[in-house]
Amino acid sequence: MSNEASGGIKEKTHVILLRKGSNSRMALKEKIVQIYEAFFQGEDPSRGNANFWDELFLLKVNTQFIEAEIEKLSGEGLLNLKENFNLLFYKAVESLNQENPIRIINALQTLCALIRGIFRKSTGNYGFDIINLLIGFDAADSVMQNLVESINHFLTGDFPCSLKQFSLKFLLVLITATDNISQNTMLEYIMNNSVFESLILNLGNQLFRLQLGHDAVLVLTMLVQYRKYESANPYIVKLSILDDELALTGYAQVVSLLLSDFNRDYQTQTNEQQSGWFSSLANMVGNMFVPEEKKIESVKANDLILLSLYEAIHLNRNFITALTHSHTPSTATTPPSSPVLSKPPALDLQVTENGNGDESTATQPTNLLVTFLEYSSIVMQDTKDTVRHNNAKLCLIILTCIAEDQYANSLMHDVNMTFRVPLHRMPMRHRKVKVEKYLTSRPLVASLLDLMVEFTMSHMMKLFPMELYLRSLGIIHRVLCYQKKCRVRLQYPWKELWTALINLLKFVMSHETALIKKHDIFILSSKVVNVFNLFVTYGDTFLPNPNSYDELYYEIIRMHQVFDNLYSMALRYTTTEGEYKDSAARLTNNLVNVRAIINHFTPKVDSWSAANNLSSLTEDQVLEVVRSNYDTLTLKLQDNLDQFERYSEKPKETPFFTQLVRSINCDVKKSVSNLSAQHHDMLMELSHVS
Amino acid sequence: MTSSELMKVEFEAPSPILSKSSSSIHNAANSVSQSALSFYVDRKAADSEVNGNYQSMESDKNHLEERMRDTLHLLPNGLLPQENQAKLHQAKPHSVHFTDQNNIAKICDHVSPSLLERSLSYSAVEQTNSSELLHVTDQTTVNQTNPDQSDSMIQDDGLVEEGVDVAMATDIEYCVNGGENVEGVGMDVVSMETNKTDKLDPKSLQLNLHHVGKNVHISTCDSKSAKERSQMLKKTKVPPPRQSWLLRLFESKLFDMSIAISYLFNSKEPGVQSYLGNRLFSFRDEEIDLYLPQIVNMYIQMHDVAEAIHPYIVHRCRYSIEFSIHTAWLLGAYSADVLKPTWKNSQGIKLKNLILNEELRPPPPKHLKSDSTLPSPTYPKHIQSVEVTAPTSPTGSKKTHIRSRSDATGIYLKHSESQPALLNAINVMGDLTTGRAFDNGCTCHTSSEAMFNNLTGRETLCSCEAPRLMPELEFVKSLMSIGIRLQLLPTKELRTSRLIAELAMLNLNLPARVWLPISDKGIHHIVRIPHTQAVVLNSKEKAPYLLYVEVLECENAASSQVPSKILENTLRFTRSEEDLSGHYCNRGNGSPRGEFSVYGNSTDFDDADCWSQEDDEIIQFALKCRPSDTISQMSTESSTSADSKEPVYIAAGDIRRRLSENITAPKGKFERDPDDPSAAALKEPWEEKVRRIRESSPYGHMPNWRLMSVIVKCGDDLRQELLVYQVLKQLQSIWRQEHVPLWIFPYKIIVTSNNSGMIEPVLNAISLHQIKKHSKMTLRDYFIHEFGPPTSEEFLTAQRNFVQSCAGYCLVCYLMQVKDRHNGNILLDANGHIIHIDFGFILSNSPGKNLGFENSAFKLTHEFAEVMDGLGSDMFEYFKILMLQGLVASRKHMDKILPLVEIMQTGSQLPCFSKGVSTIRSLKERFHLNLTEEQLQLLVDNMVESSLHSLTTKLYDGFQYYTNGIL
Repeated sequence: MSNEASGGIKEKTHVILLRKGSNSRMALKEKIVQIYEAFFQGEDPSRGNANFWDELFLLKVNTQFIEAEIEKLSGEGLLNLKENFNLLFYKAVESLNQENPIRIINALQTLCALIRGIFRKSTGNYGFDIINLLIGFDAADSVMQNLVESINHFLTGDFPCSLKQFSLKFLLVLITATDNISQNTMLEYIMNNSVFESLILNLGNQLFRLQLGHDAVLVLTMLVQYRKYESANPYIVKLSILDDELALTGYAQVVSLLLSDFNRDYQTQTNEQQSGWFSSLANMVGNMFVPEEKKIESVKANDLILLSLYEAIHLNRNFITALTHSHTPSTATTPPSSPVLSKPPALDLQVTENGNGDESTATQPTNLLVTFLEYSSIVMQDTKDTVRHNNAKLCLIILTCIAEDQYANSLMHDVNMTFRVPLHRMPMRHRKVKVEKYLTSRPLVASLLDLMVEFTMSHMMKLFPMELYLRSLGIIHRVLCYQKKCRVRLQYPWKELWTALINLLKFVMSHETALIKKHDIFILSSKVVNVFNLFVTYGDTFLPNPNSYDELYYEIIRMHQVFDNLYSMALRYTTTEGEYKDSAARLTNNLVNVRAIINHFTPKVDSWSAANNLSSLTEDQVLEVVRSNYDTLTLKLQDNLDQFERYSEKPKETPFFTQLVRSINCDVKKSVSNLSAQHHDMLMELSHVS
Repeated sequence: MTSSELMKVEFEAPSPILSKSSSSIHNAANSVSQSALSFYVDRKAADSEVNGNYQSMESDKNHLEERMRDTLHLLPNGLLPQENQAKLHQAKPHSVHFTDQNNIAKICDHVSPSLLERSLSYSAVEQTNSSELLHVTDQTTVNQTNPDQSDSMIQDDGLVEEGVDVAMATDIEYCVNGGENVEGVGMDVVSMETNKTDKLDPKSLQLNLHHVGKNVHISTCDSKSAKERSQMLKKTKVPPPRQSWLLRLFESKLFDMSIAISYLFNSKEPGVQSYLGNRLFSFRDEEIDLYLPQIVNMYIQMHDVAEAIHPYIVHRCRYSIEFSIHTAWLLGAYSADVLKPTWKNSQGIKLKNLILNEELRPPPPKHLKSDSTLPSPTYPKHIQSVEVTAPTSPTGSKKTHIRSRSDATGIYLKHSESQPALLNAINVMGDLTTGRAFDNGCTCHTSSEAMFNNLTGRETLCSCEAPRLMPELEFVKSLMSIGIRLQLLPTKELRTSRLIAELAMLNLNLPARVWLPISDKGIHHIVRIPHTQAVVLNSKEKAPYLLYVEVLECENAASSQVPSKILENTLRFTRSEEDLSGHYCNRGNGSPRGEFSVYGNSTDFDDADCWSQEDDEIIQFALKCRPSDTISQMSTESSTSADSKEPVYIAAGDIRRRLSENITAPKGKFERDPDDPSAAALKEPWEEKVRRIRESSPYGHMPNWRLMSVIVKCGDDLRQELLVYQVLKQLQSIWRQEHVPLWIFPYKIIVTSNNSGMIEPVLNAISLHQIKKHSKMTLRDYFIHEFGPPTSEEFLTAQRNFVQSCAGYCLVCYLMQVKDRHNGNILLDANGHIIHIDFGFILSNSPGKNLGFENSAFKLTHEFAEVMDGLGSDMFEYFKILMLQGLVASRKHMDKILPLVEIMQTGSQLPCFSKGVSTIRSLKERFHLNLTEEQLQLLVDNMVESSLHSLTTKLYDGFQYYTNGIL
């Protein structure tokens, strides 16, 4: 790096005469590098120069050099340099209190380099305490307190946006210093000295949200992960009781923006594919390698934002409002952004794209849940890959949380709040992708059910995603329980759901031998049958009309063979001693009403057709028989049909989330590993400002 | 001997008493100030009156003197200095008998002599030089040793200043009071005065003052008597004989706002105008408000009237934010027609700007003089000075709590600190994304002092410079801009979802110090808009929408504290909060190092605490309002509680039956139709809707929670609607007064500009079109469906309601020539009343370029007649009788209706006045003044007959069906 790089501050460097007697040897080195070298040689270059630190932080930081030098050091060498590290750290933190933004940025940059360098060493298990090495035990409390206070000051005060942004980046560097976030002892100081309020403030502010929202949400999400299973993480507590509606809405909008970016990318991609016969052919060939790659990449990047969404929904009860808080994509009332702020190009692009994106949806108000449902529909199309599988799983977990929430349900069932949710369907051999040009505006729950039906229909494959199926059924079950409890009669074509579920049963039975080796198919079947039981016994409370109840019977009678086979299969496993004996027995129990219906009506239908000399009956005729024979049928009321186990992260999902956080942590770390480009821009900008 | 000499002489004697009484006034600050005020207003009225009448009187000076003498005779002898004070013992104010032949004296035989004397004395003061007699009067006044009286005298003439605490006088003047109190107090002051002259004892004076204070409160309740007194008061005021018939009218019991307005409009006499301008102060605010459009229109169009009523408007604007806003809106709306503002008609715009620039505020304490810089658009200097020195004029009768001055100054000092916050607030005003769009940055009401005032029941006045009108104006503006944005969307479905989204945004900024202007009195704060309940109404180009608003009632919207925000799902704050408090405790002490272990300690923390599902209350809510009649419902409870393994059996047939019963059960509502979302929303009974929204609202548990609704219209001129509202209101009161059981429903209209406004929705009513479309029945069948068989009590009641309302509206339609009467514009409410809406085509204006599509007198179809049991039935005859009675009654009171319309016609470009003056003439003709009652009956019969058989009505309905799909 040449001296030219230091740009606007170059003229200042000549004032500084810091180095002692090494002028001749290293003429080509940057001034700062020479100072660093002095540091790493154990010297204290500040001695005898009162202005040394003021001047040092005016020089452009060379993070690579610092990190590389630390990397080179041995464990012992590190310990020897402790005093110097401490001094540098201390002075860097101290200079954060200064007015000059360039100094502040450089100080932060120095801190980043120190933290990254030293933490990297610690992964090699050197057995020294990082805090001691960086700050020194004695000073750590006050220094870190000062540091966090400064950062809060930057985030809340009247500072250039780039500085705020860099503060957030610094926090991210600090947070992702270790691979396992819970082992990052430095974060204790962030726990003690909260940055929560500053983050929330920025989320609530429309101007800052555009540029800082993403990082703010990131920092918050990551901080929530810190030792979340062992200790009372104050960020968890604070996030859970956050009731600042603006901040929550801001949070939701950040998530929504990123998810819709993904959706749009997908949309343009599929549009390209459909644009012509030749291009589609070409794409098909191309798709085999390239786009798949790209897709996975983008999905992976969204793990983090999904996690943010998850934490907000899981922890905060007020977030549901923000989730369904509809907003118009084009914000007509956007105030002119303040002249000081210059938007980073990436975000700028997003905004403009969002502004004049596809016109069809431009005027249609949307909300986070709509976007999320669309996103889920895309992600769920392909679950073969582990990363995507996990992503889909996280989607389903979030949907489970939503479906469990009474308030969310009441919003989703509100007939006045209708949305068009573009759900994407996977092209499959046996069906064409229906491109629904005109989507009807419906309550959100209808789209949720559609999504579940679609999932059920499209994942009957060899690599059976058992876990996802269980979650999907759980979501359906939860929604039905809400409808039953609150007596909401949703105008929904339930027949599609019944058909999908029966098909699922059929698939499970036909692949019994393969599936039984890996999964407990009886639990799955029991869940399916229980959904039917809910309809059969409590249909009066939530079905839209009497005909739909008749249709339910019709479907069961029509597909009686499936249920018969299921019963006999379950019976088989109950008679033989084995792993699944109990669950199989439970399944037979659960089938009692369905079998009662079949046994009651099948002879009636048969005799009716015999009496009328008809070999096959039309649907209407069967329905007629069904209607006239209800009264002689008695059903058994089953216990706990409307009970479900509440979702709980702690014991069951811990490994999943630990793993997820670890991989996200790595991603974030990578994204903030090289801030020098940004650093440069920022310095340029700040030198203009100041 | 000049008057000033005399004054001096007279003043020397009572001065010790004066100073004593001034100290006692300090003791009884409140009551005295009120009496002083009453006095003051009296004086002011008299002043201006004299001013107004001066010229005319000057011309006939001799006559004036004569009158003066006459009137002086009325005074009890005891009050005259020549007679001895001893006589005062006998002079009981209420039993004074006048020896006069004057008419006025006859009416007011129990009027207080000193009142008479006082008002006289002021006119006298004004004209000191003109008459010898006045010297006498002056003496009398001074002799009274009434402290406040002499104070004002001193001020007035600038003659004497010794012995009187002038500062105190200003102090007293400063306080504000209701107009009614004024007269009431006057009476009591009189009795006090007599006592005083009797004993001259400061102690008893003090007592009397207290007595007066009490009386003030009593007299506010007794507005009627106060008014009576006020009339008597006025009667004594220098009536020039030339106008005596007019004055007699003005002072008679019959004199009311409608007379005042029409004389204000018709009289070209400046004296009469300024008399009436001053008389406005004596009317109740509500009476005035009813005629506000007329007042405003005259203000805009008639320069001379504007001068006369300017003080009143300015005064009201100072003390009422609501009045300011309404006036500004109306000024804006009616000035729109003024094409070229000239010096003659620019006063409307000027006043509007004056109001909107927030220059009309209640004068700040201590800074009395700062006010005098206030620009008055049209006023000659002398009138202006009257206005300026009159910061203490009556306002709403409710303001009995006045903050003491020390309070006010306390806040005043504080205000400098809040300045930066305030600047910030103005930046965010109207920006909905900030969450503080309707926050004017005023912190006066959140200060600890305000809290204290709140607890002690005192009112907190805003003393910071925060814009007072902004929150409300911004709120209405944002409602309107939503309407504008909706117009751009093509389909109703898009509009609905957009509306909901926009309102959700608006919601972020609530609660705020805003209120619904449509409500009778803006004494509430809007806390939430249940945005999913809002619906777009049926209209092709314009996008009017109906929204519901949750409000919390309060004592005073301007000064009560704004309720704090409660989030949507209130039930969601649970244990985690306690957790946090514990956490903070831990954090508070110990070194950070120690806290490492603190986290370790509380390992029992688990995330279930953050999100425990205790919120099943929502479900409980839902269950509560539904009968748990089904077995399945019960069985869940039993299955969860009891462990009995006894299997429960249910019959499938029962389930099916319950389901179909549930579906077919009459629900009193329509299914939601995306193409006509308003039908379902409007059909739902209001009470049910209120209950439903209340249950789901986080504010619903508050006792002062109310639900209100409003239709926001933009792109439509509602000025005609407003006119019809006024006429309907007038007709309603006429019919009520005449005991004619006609029923009409004047729904309130707020005009916010010449193309936007708000409409009060008619509750529990849907249009005939919607009924036909959704129920697919004839009107009579629908009646039977809704109210029961034709012989049932309910049906008969509904039928009677129908007939009474139908007759009422037929008359309205005839008199006002209401056109465009298709079924979409006729509503039917839950009691069977019909209500006509949409008065876009009235008087000279009808749809289709005035081609006369609907040439029948009113819309009366056979379908309507069918509901009335058909032609010739008893009900139908009753209908005709009602119409006749209604017409006769309205003819009798025609004078109350015509001026309303006539004044609005002045300078108006409204289409309903397109035929100019003939519009009013034909309106007058429709009252058929020349017909006998028999002839009238014939007329009604004919009109009914021809309307029933009108071909054009059918044609027009057909036309509407084909063009707009209206059934």
